[in-house]
Amino acid sequence: MLKTLIDAFALISTWEVIIAMFAASVYGLVIGSLPGLSATMATALLVPVTFYLSPIAAIATIVAASSMAIFSGDIPGALLRIPGTPASAAYADEAYAMTRKGQAELALGAGVWFSAVGGIAGVLSLMILAPPLAEIALSFSTFEYFWLALLGLMCATLVARSSPVKAIAGMFIGLLVSCIGIENPGGIPRFTFGITDLFGGIEPIPALVGVFAVAQVMRAMLTPEPPPLPRRKFGSIMAGQWKLTKLYHWQMTRGNIVGIIIGVLPGAGADMAAWVSYAMSKRFSKEPEKFGTGHVEGLVEAGASNNASIASGWVPSLLFGIPGDTIAAIAIGVLYMKGLNPGPTLFTEKASSMYAIYLMFIIANILMIPLGIAMIRVAAYILLAPRSTVMPIIMLCCAVGSFAIGNNMFGVVTVAAFGVIGYVMEANGYPVAAMVLGIVMGTMVEQAFVTSLIKSDGSILPFFERPVAAILAAMAIGALLWPVMVWIWRKMKPLQTATATSR
Amino acid sequence: MRLPDSVTGSFLVALGAAAAYGGWILPPVPGQPVGPNVFPLVIGTGLALCGLAIVFGIGHSFEEEEELIPFEDGQAATPPPQGKLYGLRALLPPALLLFYVFAADRLGFIITAAIMVYVTSAALGAKWKLALPLAALSPFAIHLIFGKLLRVPLPAGLLPTPW
Repeated sequence: MLKTLIDAFALISTWEVIIAMFAASVYGLVIGSLPGLSATMATALLVPVTFYLSPIAAIATIVAASSMAIFSGDIPGALLRIPGTPASAAYADEAYAMTRKGQAELALGAGVWFSAVGGIAGVLSLMILAPPLAEIALSFSTFEYFWLALLGLMCATLVARSSPVKAIAGMFIGLLVSCIGIENPGGIPRFTFGITDLFGGIEPIPALVGVFAVAQVMRAMLTPEPPPLPRRKFGSIMAGQWKLTKLYHWQMTRGNIVGIIIGVLPGAGADMAAWVSYAMSKRFSKEPEKFGTGHVEGLVEAGASNNASIASGWVPSLLFGIPGDTIAAIAIGVLYMKGLNPGPTLFTEKASSMYAIYLMFIIANILMIPLGIAMIRVAAYILLAPRSTVMPIIMLCCAVGSFAIGNNMFGVVTVAAFGVIGYVMEANGYPVAAMVLGIVMGTMVEQAFVTSLIKSDGSILPFFERPVAAILAAMAIGALLWPVMVWIWRKMKPLQTATATSR
Repeated sequence: MRLPDSVTGSFLVALGAAAAYGGWILPPVPGQPVGPNVFPLVIGTGLALCGLAIVFGIGHSFEEEEELIPFEDGQAATPPPQGKLYGLRALLPPALLLFYVFAADRLGFIITAAIMVYVTSAALGAKWKLALPLAALSPFAIHLIFGKLLRVPLPAGLLPTPW
């Protein structure tokens, strides 16, 4: 154990890793603080850069950028009432109300402090939960893997804010996209329409960049620009945070626990963690009437929660290759690319790399405090950048970054196509995150499904015979049928009420 | 771009049916009960069923309308002019990406990128005093990062970079 830890230290104490981590932190802070650019988009745009880095430096950039972006989304939320990332949307109103009361420093300080605490709690959960789960996962066969992957996909649809049927449809579209190419059980071209570029299939990364970045630029074309930030000088950012920690220690702990649990659930990410924690904070508060008037309690709980979910979202990703959220989905792509294939054996064969990931998370969260304070101080200048200068650069990065993935122009065409698909889906209430999960997990789901069918000689029964498989199957089928059952129940209810009143 | 659920649902039914048919006609693997045809068949059927559910409004009651936070103190951004072709502006970014695909090899990275940046910036409301310097400088900065530091082979075309 000690030797592994020393090896891990050696892995991360190279100049390449240190510079990569610092640069990615600054990048994450800037992108996260710009309204409309999410943490997922920040991470997606970073992937082409990771091609040129060593495996540990590549993971370091993802870890640092995603952690920082989730925090810095709070900055425009507090100052402008425009959340930088969806994860900050839950408490943007509250933070803005505090700014109006002259407590901007307290609101932003709580953002940076409790985010760092939440982030470290998330890493601890990753360190404690992952190894025993890996032991259990080693006994899983393809049947369990199939149901687990399906459950992961279903979780993503259950937590979507839109109609669950539309979320399931989005997931199916993603799975259909993953069918394209020759990587299938027969090794024959499937849905390629004779286009050679499609033989290799659709890479998840250009698809991600398309739906998250290009679609955002498309939306910016039609929406008015948010108002500029009024200039102001900040006092001490960290003053009063220790007092808040002592006063709201239980809220902070609850936020951490909820964030960890939501992070571990496949498909539910930082946004969901923040919404649930904020609602919970209000529900169990002794002074719920203060919520919405500039009360820091909800900020403490939700701020801790969304950052805790970032690290714990890596648990299913590292163990099963099932992403905890969209950021983890991108991280899985990078892990595969760098030869750190996710799976339970990662913990035995590449233990030092695992420890290096833990250490990087801890460092990123400690680094968040000084860098976050600096960012809050320069935020007034960065937020002055008009959208008409930021969006064109993002477009250019999309074009060059997607070209860099395979050094061919097909990547750019894919980005453009998925930009349109993402835009149309979002506009019509189809969650794009469900589609992205479908694309990322499609090959794995098909492999587990077909291998299981071959093993069972085409019979469906063995899918339910092993006890763990049966439990997972019941959960996945329950999640699949849940919207239909609720719909039937709602249809029946007015009928019953009508019969009762007619009597 | 908001379409009625009946339209998007019907499209999904058609897409699902096409996917299932596409899977159906794929050749099986000799001596193996399941092959590359099973998965598209399952997905296509699932997609078509979802499409039907959407057409009939199942699950619609779960949808939450996105809340628009109003700005205060009269900061409210002016609503965009709603001409007939206004919605087509959204297609500009993907169109520019396709322009990049066709023009980058002939014109070179710098010129193509400058055109893309200028058009996007102008479309987002930037005055030429801002858009022009941005279009002139940002391609060089991006080329320096991707082309020089990360060694992405960016086409030189008509205007090679000085490095």
